[in-house]
Amino acid sequence: MSERGLANRSAAEAPAAAASAAGDAPVVRLQDVSKSFGDHHVVREVSLDLRAHEVVSIIGPSGAGKSTLLRCINFLEPPTSGTVSLDGRVICQERDRHGRPSRKELTELRRAIGMVFQGFNLFPHLTVMRNLTLPQERVLGRSRAEAEQRGMELLERMGLADKAGQMPGRCSGGQQQRVAIARALVMDPRVMLFDEPTSSLDPELGAEVLAVMRSLAEGGMTMVVVTHEMHFARDVSDTVVVMADGAEIESGRPEEIFGAPKTERTQRFLSAVMDR
Amino acid sequence: MVGAIYSNWLEWLPDQLDGLFVSVQLTAAILATGLPLGVLLALGVASPAKPIRWAALVVVELGRGTPAFVILLLVYYGLPQVDVLIPAFACGVIAFGLAMGAYTSEVFRAAFGAVGKVQREAADAVGLTGFDAFRYVTLPQALRIATPALMGWAILFFQATSLCFTIAVPELMTTAYNQGSVTLDFIGAFALAGTLYASISIPASYLVSRLERRLDQQGQGARPRSRRWLRGARTPAPSEG
Ligand SMILES: Nc1ncnc2c1ncn2[C@@H]1O[C@H](COP(=O)(O)OP(=O)(O)OP(=O)(O)O)[C@@H](O)[C@H]1O
Ligand SMILES: [Mg+2]
Repeated sequence: MSERGLANRSAAEAPAAAASAAGDAPVVRLQDVSKSFGDHHVVREVSLDLRAHEVVSIIGPSGAGKSTLLRCINFLEPPTSGTVSLDGRVICQERDRHGRPSRKELTELRRAIGMVFQGFNLFPHLTVMRNLTLPQERVLGRSRAEAEQRGMELLERMGLADKAGQMPGRCSGGQQQRVAIARALVMDPRVMLFDEPTSSLDPELGAEVLAVMRSLAEGGMTMVVVTHEMHFARDVSDTVVVMADGAEIESGRPEEIFGAPKTERTQRFLSAVMDR
Repeated sequence: MVGAIYSNWLEWLPDQLDGLFVSVQLTAAILATGLPLGVLLALGVASPAKPIRWAALVVVELGRGTPAFVILLLVYYGLPQVDVLIPAFACGVIAFGLAMGAYTSEVFRAAFGAVGKVQREAADAVGLTGFDAFRYVTLPQALRIATPALMGWAILFFQATSLCFTIAVPELMTTAYNQGSVTLDFIGAFALAGTLYASISIPASYLVSRLERRLDQQGQGARPRSRRWLRGARTPAPSEG
């Protein structure tokens, strides 16, 4: 696969164009994905299509299963049932007796999909730059020099070039989260997953992170964002999915969801969060 | 018997220093065996595969439940009985390495737990293989957390090597015992040996408590990247080009 810059739409569209010939297959498709922990059904038969350059926001009350659904996409939580497809191909269907898919397919899936966590989850024992180079070297097989060059590109875009030699613990929360975004982006993922990336940040620092996410979306990145930031969901996303009690209860364009929610449950949720 | 406790010390010191050197070598070999074994046992106990888990548990429980001295004699006298002949030094390493592996496996287990699932998931999410995640993410952080406790065990096992005088390894206690039996000044000989043990153990313990304090202060914060601190030296500058 060719290297592509994030703002480079034409290069990014090449695989999408190929896919559209095959009936415009979504980059990622979830079909009837369910996840339970014991008797606890956390995600119930959720289906979702994610097309190239699309930004999908997932909103809903706490405990709705949003994070779990997101983690099913890259198999941090292997779904209990249902399928995840990447470029029209069902992935990680074969499981061993512990329910784990094959290493090779998992790696393929995770190379295609980057993830950003609520708690940043940088590697605290490595410098900012090493956080970015380690996965490139070990997963993509890039040389140290290549990896550092790519790392520096991303740090510059995040406005963090001067932090390369720092330990993550010395950076502010907003800086750490941007490093975490850079760590995902250096891998040139096709899709980015965000799980409440600003929830553990002060509003000011959260704004830095949201700005980065906006520019990513404008650059054509395909994204799924679990968020409590209703402005972001309304202004940036192409599709909003509302979840409650593990199920998708409504989805549509942001104008529809925020302007004229169809279900009573969505109305109740929106009025609760909008009143805050 | 007349004369001060230390009347022969100057004369004995060179031989005892040779003995001390053997004790230190023995300790180093025990660490080189025991620490990797401790990591393996910690992983084994947490393994999803039942046979591995049970095997690891048995080794850990036996290693901790049986006095190291008993294991030492079992290896030294038992192996020749089944026609396995190995040098006394190696017997010491096997017996104490096993014991150290069993004890430190608990330390490693706690340290792996402290690094936590979240770091493992971050490594998974960027596509690192399980081995790479362990090698580059979990293990270095766990080692750092475990270091004070491991150094504590190292000091205890350094002292325990004195038991190897019973199997004629020419370490410090053996040297002191021989000097004592020649001169019949056991008090003087053992006192010198004790002083030499203490001259290593006490500064080492002091270093451990300093390291512990420093780690406490740093908490989850900035962590030096260099491995120099593992050897207990100065903390290097946290950044590196
Ligand atoms: N590993 C797990 N084991 C057992 N239960 C879990 C696990 N992970 C999540 N759950 C449960 O699943 C439910 C949904 O959790 P999830 O984190 O997906 O919700 P969420 O919509 O992301 O909520 P929030 O907005 O608070 O982050 C919760 O009741 C939670 O306790
Ligand atoms: Mg969540």
